[in-house]
Amino acid sequence: MVKKFLAFSRVSWALSMEYRSQAILWMMTSLLMVIMLMVWLGVSDKGAINGFTRGDFIAYYMVGWVVRTLTAVWASWEMDYQIRQGTLSPLLLRPIHPILNEIAANLTEKIFRMAIVMPIVIIVLILSPDAHVNLDIVSLAMFVPAMIGAWMLVFLSDYLVGLLAFWTTQTGAFIMGFYGLRLLLSGIVAPLVMFPQAAQEFLKWTPFPYMLNFPTAILTHRLPANELWFGFAVQAFWVTAFIFAVRGGWRLAMRSYSAVGA
Amino acid sequence: MRNLQLFRLFVKSSVLVELEYRANFVAQALLGVLWSVITFSSVALFYSHTDTLGGWNYGQAMVVVGMSILLGGIISTFFEANLQRIIAMVRDGTMDFVLMKPVDSQFYCTLRHVRFSGLTDVIAGLAVTTYALITLRAAPGLAELLSFAGMLVFALVLAYSIWLAMGACAFWFVKVDNLQELFRTLWDTSRFPVSAFTGGLRFALTFVAPVAFMTTAPAQALLGRLDVGTFVAGLCVSAAFYVGAAWLWRRAVRSYSSASS
Repeated sequence: MVKKFLAFSRVSWALSMEYRSQAILWMMTSLLMVIMLMVWLGVSDKGAINGFTRGDFIAYYMVGWVVRTLTAVWASWEMDYQIRQGTLSPLLLRPIHPILNEIAANLTEKIFRMAIVMPIVIIVLILSPDAHVNLDIVSLAMFVPAMIGAWMLVFLSDYLVGLLAFWTTQTGAFIMGFYGLRLLLSGIVAPLVMFPQAAQEFLKWTPFPYMLNFPTAILTHRLPANELWFGFAVQAFWVTAFIFAVRGGWRLAMRSYSAVGA
Repeated sequence: MRNLQLFRLFVKSSVLVELEYRANFVAQALLGVLWSVITFSSVALFYSHTDTLGGWNYGQAMVVVGMSILLGGIISTFFEANLQRIIAMVRDGTMDFVLMKPVDSQFYCTLRHVRFSGLTDVIAGLAVTTYALITLRAAPGLAELLSFAGMLVFALVLAYSIWLAMGACAFWFVKVDNLQELFRTLWDTSRFPVSAFTGGLRFALTFVAPVAFMTTAPAQALLGRLDVGTFVAGLCVSAAFYVGAAWLWRRAVRSYSSASS
């Protein structure tokens, strides 16, 4: 299993080295984090908003950028393409689940993207003395599982949307629609605490904030213990739910799949 | 004149295509509505914490949001599908057949397809703009409407030129999907008045990727806040972009050496 996984990783590493220039251009699309940060900085120059000072915004968006880079996904587009073109069929004949290939490709490309994002984030944080990031052992120990949970949520939900390609040819619309919701609700457009109180109460039960806002908040704010454990519990619930959904969805899909002829 | 007739044919054949793929039309139209709501709420969110953003109050900023949704709709109706076709044709070599046709390649490649589902965004954009004007209790007079029409034309020329330039780039780099993705990210700034940004980004959004002239300036015109300088700058920037993009297209076509397997 591990050997197969490493083989997938090597292939994907070779691919990303081949398309280096594209990866750099792709990176620029994550400029959105910087854009949102600048708008918030413009708003907060008269004083703190909901407890967020300028430094807090910088810290939030820089850590959020790292989280977003680590949780970037594109498996659904690949699946849509493979299913429509029929290239999924040979992959199904392999004695290994195609999701493993997607996971390996996803994790490998992360190394590449982090190499670009990390230096920028570190420099910005060093140049902004009032941007505070918790780098103590306890915060980091909390951040790692929250980050893994966030990646699983984003990857699995994206994979679920991708599975729709087995039944509809309109997967692209679903992918973009879900992406839009994620932009707005996961903490990219605004940190969760900027939402109206009622919206916050509702959103904390949905999977969205745990895709970005939650791990980011762990590193940039002192979350009270009860919020922390509540967050982990809801995140774990959604991860489990999505795992079952992906398994169930995949089984249903295999039953109905009748390959597109080339 | 002949081009006009051709364009009518293009529209007609596009209607037939949309009728053939009705599910796609419905899905894309609904997606347009969802994104309009997301765009609207993401700006409204800021105004729950502040009264002004870059000197624009809520109602004024909502005019910019309306412009952003409207222009986005026009881009997806007229430009995006054509760019995708250009990329595909360069990749598989079918561009040969276009270049052999006795018609201007730029005209044909950039206006061949119309994607009507984008019109939901256009309607949503108009709705948001109307809502904003009602909030402001502002009724634009003739002077405002005229300068607005002018700025809108500049905005359309700019959008057309940017997509034309991307199409030209497809001849050299083939995979320009990323370029489109990059512009889409920059387009995310278009829902905010450009004065919400500072320094280098504001400069870039005005002159490098002139998003400012596409949404902020038409909104200013509609609100009667446009100064002559901005109008003239809009004229110059859009003219410069068009000339540059058309030149790029001609060079690209000349360097095209077909694709063979």
